[in-house]
Amino acid sequence: MDFKLFLAILVGKLTSFLIKLKGGGATAAPGLYALYIDPNLVKKLAKKNGLNSIVISGTNGKTTTARLVSDILGTKYKIIHNRAGSNLLRGVASTLITNSSLSGALCCRLALWEADEAALLPISKQLQINTLVLLNLFRDQLDRYGEIDTTRKKWQEVVKNLKSDASLILNTDDPSVNYLSKFTKSKKIFFGLETTKIDLPKVENVADVKFCPNCQAKLKYEDLYSAHLGTYKCSRCSFKRENPQVSITSITFNKNYSTNIKISINKESLSVNYQLPGLFNAYNVMAALASTIALGINVKSAAKDICKFTPVFGRYQNIMLDGKNLLLFLIKNPAGANEVIRTIAAKEKINLLLILNDNTADGRDVSWIWDTNWEALAGKTSNIDIAGTRAWDMALRLKYANIKIVQKNVHKDLNTAIIQAIGKLAKDDTLYILPTYTALIGLQAYLKNKGIISWQSQ
Amino acid sequence: MAKPMTLNICHLYPDLMDTYGDRGNILTIQYRCKQRGIKVIYSPLTINDKLLANYDLYFFGGGQDQAQCIVEHDLAKKSAALRQAVDRGAVLLSICGGYQLLQKYFVTTEGKEIPGIGLFNAFTEASETRMMNNLLIEINPKLLSNIQKTYQSTMNHEPRTMNHLIGFENHSGKTYLEEGTMPMGKVLKGSGNNGQDKTEGAVYKNAFGCYLHGSLLPKNPHFADLLISKALEKNYGKIKLKPLDDSIEWQAHNSAISIIR
Repeated sequence: MDFKLFLAILVGKLTSFLIKLKGGGATAAPGLYALYIDPNLVKKLAKKNGLNSIVISGTNGKTTTARLVSDILGTKYKIIHNRAGSNLLRGVASTLITNSSLSGALCCRLALWEADEAALLPISKQLQINTLVLLNLFRDQLDRYGEIDTTRKKWQEVVKNLKSDASLILNTDDPSVNYLSKFTKSKKIFFGLETTKIDLPKVENVADVKFCPNCQAKLKYEDLYSAHLGTYKCSRCSFKRENPQVSITSITFNKNYSTNIKISINKESLSVNYQLPGLFNAYNVMAALASTIALGINVKSAAKDICKFTPVFGRYQNIMLDGKNLLLFLIKNPAGANEVIRTIAAKEKINLLLILNDNTADGRDVSWIWDTNWEALAGKTSNIDIAGTRAWDMALRLKYANIKIVQKNVHKDLNTAIIQAIGKLAKDDTLYILPTYTALIGLQAYLKNKGIISWQSQ
Repeated sequence: MAKPMTLNICHLYPDLMDTYGDRGNILTIQYRCKQRGIKVIYSPLTINDKLLANYDLYFFGGGQDQAQCIVEHDLAKKSAALRQAVDRGAVLLSICGGYQLLQKYFVTTEGKEIPGIGLFNAFTEASETRMMNNLLIEINPKLLSNIQKTYQSTMNHEPRTMNHLIGFENHSGKTYLEEGTMPMGKVLKGSGNNGQDKTEGAVYKNAFGCYLHGSLLPKNPHFADLLISKALEKNYGKIKLKPLDDSIEWQAHNSAISIIR
């Protein structure tokens, strides 16, 4: 009997019980306390139970991709999943504790983890990874993650340690992600776009990768889809985009924010319609389907699960309120925010509620809003309300993008902002809400309080 | 009617030094000129492009380490023109990586000295500490008096004070000014040049270097206007800039300060 482990699980379970008693939804605290007692808790539980792990990481799209994979797997297997999005080692520990008996017996042998890009290395050291999905690498919260080369070097170590019978699923359109394939002995599956027809407004790009990760020469792009995702090759060495086994060959974005794709999987073509907008979700869908190949699941049945998928809270989520639509799009970095702007800029008379916070989980530096292409919304907005700790920074950014700001619509208080923004809507109008991470949590609390959503629906 | 004034901006390495949101500085100068009927000609220049000394305003932002290494080799070829321009009175604003590359040298963690172009009489040493903070400085008196002479706003309520610059710093290099080099200001909150001597930034003629991201100019309109008027002065003599409604700018300025105070 491992007394340390037992005590850690016990403390974790007690913490979780107390939080629930108080009506809270925190998912990291039980793991945090348990890891103080036994730092090897995750490793021990994984080993003891022969736990196979699927791990998904990347700057943008982790939560949605993990949910897609979860929906596909969930119809066939019982799985453990850090669903609530607590994606550091402590979140993994919390989830395991919830699914473990006091003696450390887990409820099943398959786990699905969304992992923070900076936490991937420590998490990977504790788990037996069966499938690793790497989505993309963008500049994000420089004050927290540093530059993207720093993260890529950590990931390099992760893929180096993968076993040869594991599968590594990589976005071939992202040079930094593709480059990692060189360092692994595991099986590799690439996914990427194989169509240049993307029917979305163009936005000015912020490419975070311009040089060959192998030899530092300039990368040459034949096509650029979003940020630095595209078809490229090095101008000096042999580094280039790999041909994908999973690829979208045609894509149509529908007015109701659903999407039709033709997807080729190992040369077999499938048509899929799913309830998610935007180019990023197309990448998430490809990543999810690529992982089903790795897991040996029938692709047609997986595609059916994707058709039924409903968005995750705050990620392109639609909420109905008294005949009015609220559409929530989490924003956190230039690459992601630009895709959101691109998705909504297809509309006219846009009603916007922007919430910019500078708490630690948002990134304390809000400079990134100046690298984001708000100009694409100029002339297309109707009412704009702004809130958050950095509301005035946001207002100023929009002013310099030639978007008219009414000063009384810049709010100190989030609830006031929400009430006023909704109050301006006519029936059947849509309010686009773009919050940063902690603002999303605040919004969630507000909607929960109003009985509009429940914690279960997150 | 008089012929409209023209401002020639040169943006140095916008494709490489573009990581930290410094683009807002260019947007600000363009916007504030446009509001006043001043024509802006914007020229982005990068690796292998020939640099001339005839621009009125040069901008040089921060980038990722890898990009900074690439720029460093190319900058030597542009050094003479840049120095000539500044000596003739052109305005230059450099931030973070750009600021470091314009100093005398940079000492790496291995102790290797990489020569810079020496526009600012200062040097930077690599360090293990990352200085990531909201950065508030009190503008040095000489610079402040220039700002007070040039800046006017149409807003009814005057800014509480023009004494400050507010931004966000994110650097691990520690910069030390050599004897006689004027800093841009005194650190009130944050680390500034090196986290020790309370100085932030450097001034040489109309060339400025500092660690203030944010972007710097949007919410420091008094400093933005100083740069614009100095850049125009070169060709048009002393001019009075038309006042603008800067109420949102000052709201952003004051609220950013109140967050950290």
